[in-house]
Amino acid sequence: MKLKKIMALTLVTAMTAGMSLTGCGGSDGKDSGSDGGTSSDSGDSVTIKWISQGTGEDGWEGITKPILEAYEEETGVHINAEFYTFNDLFEVIETKSAAGDADFDVMSVDVTYVSKYGSSGYLEPLDQYFSDEEKAEWDDASYQAGVWEDTMYAAPENTSTQELYYNKTLLDKAGISVPENDADNRLTYEEVAELAKQGLKKLDPDGSQGYIGFDFQQVSRVYQMNMLANSMGGKNISDDGYSLDGVVNTKPWIDAMTWYQKLVDDGIASRGYDADQLGDQFSAGKVLFMIGGTWTPSNMTCDDEVGYTYAPCFEGHEDEVATSTGSWYFGINSKSNNKDAAADFIKYFTLGKGNDMWLEINGDVPSRIDKQDEIANNPDASEDMKIAAYEAANTAVPRAVTPVFGEYSTALDQAWEDVRNGADVEESLNNAVEQFDAATAAYK
Amino acid sequence: MGGIYIKNKWLPYLLILPTILMICIFKIYPIIDSVIQGFSSADSNFTLDNYKLLFADKTFWNSLKVTLKFNIIIIPIQIIVSFIMALFVNVKIRGIEVFRTVFYLPFCISLTISTVIWQMMLNVNNGVINSMLGVLGLKPIGFLIDKKWALLSIILISSWRGCAYWMMFILAGLKGIDSAVYESAKIDGSGFFNTMFRITIPLLKNTWLFVLVANTTANFLLFAPMQIATDGGPQGSTNVLMYEAYKSAFKYSNRPRQACLVTILLIIVMLICFVQNRFMTDKEAHR
Repeated sequence: MKLKKIMALTLVTAMTAGMSLTGCGGSDGKDSGSDGGTSSDSGDSVTIKWISQGTGEDGWEGITKPILEAYEEETGVHINAEFYTFNDLFEVIETKSAAGDADFDVMSVDVTYVSKYGSSGYLEPLDQYFSDEEKAEWDDASYQAGVWEDTMYAAPENTSTQELYYNKTLLDKAGISVPENDADNRLTYEEVAELAKQGLKKLDPDGSQGYIGFDFQQVSRVYQMNMLANSMGGKNISDDGYSLDGVVNTKPWIDAMTWYQKLVDDGIASRGYDADQLGDQFSAGKVLFMIGGTWTPSNMTCDDEVGYTYAPCFEGHEDEVATSTGSWYFGINSKSNNKDAAADFIKYFTLGKGNDMWLEINGDVPSRIDKQDEIANNPDASEDMKIAAYEAANTAVPRAVTPVFGEYSTALDQAWEDVRNGADVEESLNNAVEQFDAATAAYK
Repeated sequence: MGGIYIKNKWLPYLLILPTILMICIFKIYPIIDSVIQGFSSADSNFTLDNYKLLFADKTFWNSLKVTLKFNIIIIPIQIIVSFIMALFVNVKIRGIEVFRTVFYLPFCISLTISTVIWQMMLNVNNGVINSMLGVLGLKPIGFLIDKKWALLSIILISSWRGCAYWMMFILAGLKGIDSAVYESAKIDGSGFFNTMFRITIPLLKNTWLFVLVANTTANFLLFAPMQIATDGGPQGSTNVLMYEAYKSAFKYSNRPRQACLVTILLIIVMLICFVQNRFMTDKEAHR
């Protein structure tokens, strides 16, 4: 009996002590290398952790491997990269950063979140790591997008633009040729829709083959879809960054969304595929025309030939052509224990050899001025990249600059998706206005 | 005997101390912290502004409506279907264990994976359900993109898995009913439905209480299928309160708003569970 009592008391003490130690472990953010996946600095070898988006071998997870291997070979620093889906990355950053987690050093930051993360203290200011000469290597628009309240918080890995891509193989099969066009004499959205309709009639008259006529790579995301409203003269947000009233409930937005809804209702654009799936549909040879980013040709998984041209314009709005822009940036976790090493890695990926490799692999539009000049002046540079460089310089419309971009994208992403699925356009836009204005009431 | 009692007086409390500590640290403290955060301003002063802003937000009222609508439909469905499943697998025939296993299998698949699979099956373009409808000459249905169908589709996804879980508790309750009671009823000429409603269901009162309270809590806090399959749409028709709280915390970084939402959810769940407990508690057993 006495032995049983002693054992019971011992067990209780051990459990209580064990629980206390577990509760204390890691709460000060200094757990390093305990699970093999955190940043560490043991002796001569350094490991830094980078969290980003783009899972899978076809995504960033696969295509950045040579860059990370090259960096490790040159510097001896191992990059432990962790990839998430696009939507999950925002939640991971929010969860880890809000908790003051030090288990990662570098994060990929969507340009629209630089102001939010900077003002929330998630990002380490980078001014001490980048000289004025280094900052001047990027074009001013790209550099400024990584700055919030005069402090540089993030470095651009590239910028982006949108072009009209089409499946030449399928169009040839349908006997359709894309009319001649250039920057000053563009195809219109209406013309492209008509070509897509004709193509579908020939290739998939009963809809059983699953072909899509004309769609948008990042469907129902403000990055991509807002360019339709911008192409009719619509703005993205109020000047103070806190309201949508008088911005999206206006004629350009109503007309743009109405046109898009008709495209879907006519069976030319799709329903039911999300932004992660639509690009795959084009890559697999199931889409005739797609507005997409410059990474599109390199992502093809079938042998179909890809054609490309300037982004379309709307009839009657030929002087208001608009393309999406902005891309991913690199930032340092303000709680990182390896900030110097993290800054060095970011420099490699945004200004150094890593950036050369990245642009080569991913096909994105460079933020570096020397690379932009290279494209413009090189007669052997691909026409695709020349078009991209032109669009980035001449038709790019930046996304809304607001510290409440989460609320902004929720309201408008939902509006685009609702309209796609048949909701009344004006009602959807008015709902978005109400939703966003209610969300920003706390900040006014 | 009295001497032994005095010596061991503190032992039971010591033995449950670890559990009490864990409940305090991981349950009670976060609840209190959340409630306080809902009434705190940025400079930590008491304020009702967070709740004023929340109650002025149409999205909140829509989420509340969707949450109540979702639970009014799903709770009775899950309990009735689970009960029927439990009755089936309680039958004494050879090989019934196989059916028990098959019926329980959905719960062995994680909610995330089962939602993704159902999302693929319900896809309007190439989902297997719409393919079958096409074979029958019917038009495809936008199960997850039509606001008439989205909430029902989420209920289907959640119940496919949830009923397997609750079935086991009800089955355990059925096993606890003495077979002599059924024999007596049979001798007295009681038919199937009479036995069901006058003997089986009343004797399962304690089981019903547990299943009802646990099921209510689980469904009020459920949001993963909405996040994965519909993102709260279409047109906010699946945007439940818990998902709105999740977005407030992890997408908007608006902790006060999230704190207000979870506090309101807590109050709703507590009220409902209190009412259920009042009506379902076996007063005879407590006398």
